[in-house]
Amino acid sequence: MKNTLYKAFAVVAISIAISSCSNDDNKNDVSGSGSLVLEYDNGFGANDLILNTQGNTTSNNEVLKISLVKYIISNVVLTKADGTIFTYPKSKSYFIADESSADGHEFKLTDIPAGDYVKVKYGIGVDEEQWKLGAAGQGDFLAKANDAGMLWSWAAGYKFFALEGTFTSPTVTTPTPFMIHTGKTGTDYNYTEVTLDLPTKALVRTTITPTIHFKIDLSKVIDGTNKIKLSDNNAGGMGAMIMGGANLPLITQNISAMFKVDHVHND
Amino acid sequence: MKKIIVMIALLVGSSAFSFTVKDSISAFTFQRLAMMEDFDCDACGCSASGGSMGFGSMLNNNFVGLRYLKQSYTSRDGIFANSPWIDENFNTIQAWARIPVTDKIQISALVPYHFNERKLTAGTENIEGLGDITVMALYTVFETKKDSTFFTHKINLGGGVKLPTGKFKEANNLGSVNQSFQLGTGSWDFPVISEYVIKHKNLGLNTTLNYIFKTENSKNYQYGDQFNYAGTFFYLFDLKSVQIVPQAGLAGEVYQTNKQYSLDLPNTAGDILFSKFGVEAGKDKFSVGLNMMLPINQNLSSGNMEANYRWSVNLNYTL
Repeated sequence: MKNTLYKAFAVVAISIAISSCSNDDNKNDVSGSGSLVLEYDNGFGANDLILNTQGNTTSNNEVLKISLVKYIISNVVLTKADGTIFTYPKSKSYFIADESSADGHEFKLTDIPAGDYVKVKYGIGVDEEQWKLGAAGQGDFLAKANDAGMLWSWAAGYKFFALEGTFTSPTVTTPTPFMIHTGKTGTDYNYTEVTLDLPTKALVRTTITPTIHFKIDLSKVIDGTNKIKLSDNNAGGMGAMIMGGANLPLITQNISAMFKVDHVHND
Repeated sequence: MKKIIVMIALLVGSSAFSFTVKDSISAFTFQRLAMMEDFDCDACGCSASGGSMGFGSMLNNNFVGLRYLKQSYTSRDGIFANSPWIDENFNTIQAWARIPVTDKIQISALVPYHFNERKLTAGTENIEGLGDITVMALYTVFETKKDSTFFTHKINLGGGVKLPTGKFKEANNLGSVNQSFQLGTGSWDFPVISEYVIKHKNLGLNTTLNYIFKTENSKNYQYGDQFNYAGTFFYLFDLKSVQIVPQAGLAGEVYQTNKQYSLDLPNTAGDILFSKFGVEAGKDKFSVGLNMMLPINQNLSSGNMEANYRWSVNLNYTL
């Protein structure tokens, strides 16, 4: 009996010894390149966004039912722990986030140098430099934006951010349409950038594709640093259409504060 | 699953009633009963940290046993306040054995088999299979020998190893749900345990403390170390042919943060305090037990996970 036990222990001990040296992690191999996924998860306040049916209340007591959320994510720049900066090639760095579309939530960036990334920066909209390249300089993205309804016309430019739906307020009791579109105006270009620290390092490796999971608070669009009432923009009761004017720079500023990194997966 | 429960119920039933009564000293002792539940499962699923060691503390006694354990949890599937809560059911059948090597040293082994399910928004997911096998050695450091003392004391210390025999699949940890929907931690983990039993006549208090050191698994995932504690009062009703031991107490678990590639994973630490109560009955070479654990206070995964209840039924046979 005892012999059997000792044998059993010997087996256990040997297998511990063997297995504990066999599996060195691949995390130390920082060569080559890998991929990284940007995941955009739209919410309103603390809640997940549910299109059309969910009433979302602002601090001005306006209730928004949102039917469309789209925005252009662009010019991704990643910073490593050692301060090295990697700028994702401009030719590939334009994406359209779309709440209602299956492929409008996650964007996979490829050929990223392996490394431990601690910071991400991106734009909302299309930068002026890119727009100045002219229609011919836009590559595939022009058609893509057009198909997604994120282009007014070439001359008028891209829509950077679009939020649409209906709203009610203490003064507007029947559901009334609203549309918020940002983009360049005669006075402001309205492209904005956000820089976010990652709570956990994103370990890009040949074998690890991290996902940066962004949580977006759409309440910030009109109920952020700058408070904007849809009912104040409801000229003649025909709906609140905010596509220009003094409110756009305020909304642009609000938009840049609606992104937060919830967490990073290193899978 | 139901069949198994029915079978166990039948076994329990037959063992309790079908054996002829002999007025001899039963092999059953209440020390063992008191210890049955003290190493219960982890808040984050037996599967994951395999803490359900359930090592009895009876000296000089060989036995084998079988236990069915049910754990119910609810977890948030997503990162928002209105993200759906999903039900998770962890079912475990475990076989265990205890073999004394010397007067003071005993070896225990525990082999769990898990049937787990979770009802994700996208559909129910099931995993089933062998869990992590634990092998431990216990040493009796002190034991009151005289019957005449007012209190008797017993102290056991032990340690062992939990083998990565349960499958760990990275895919089960994707997304923002409970990170413990696994059959095993996939890692070599090392529990150390201590038990202290104080008794006066038929009344006793059993206190256990144990700590499980967990290591990084081959997928570079490391479950956080775990600290378990429990205090259980028990009382032996020594009837002519059967012994009945009701018991009640508190049990708690504290989890450290999980790591992946040595980086802390947010919302994976936590703690929970349970009330526990149960009853054990022994007759001749058999004993059966029923136990229930209900949470009193909990903070698991930053509130993204809630333990609802645990219950177990077990049958032991003295060799």
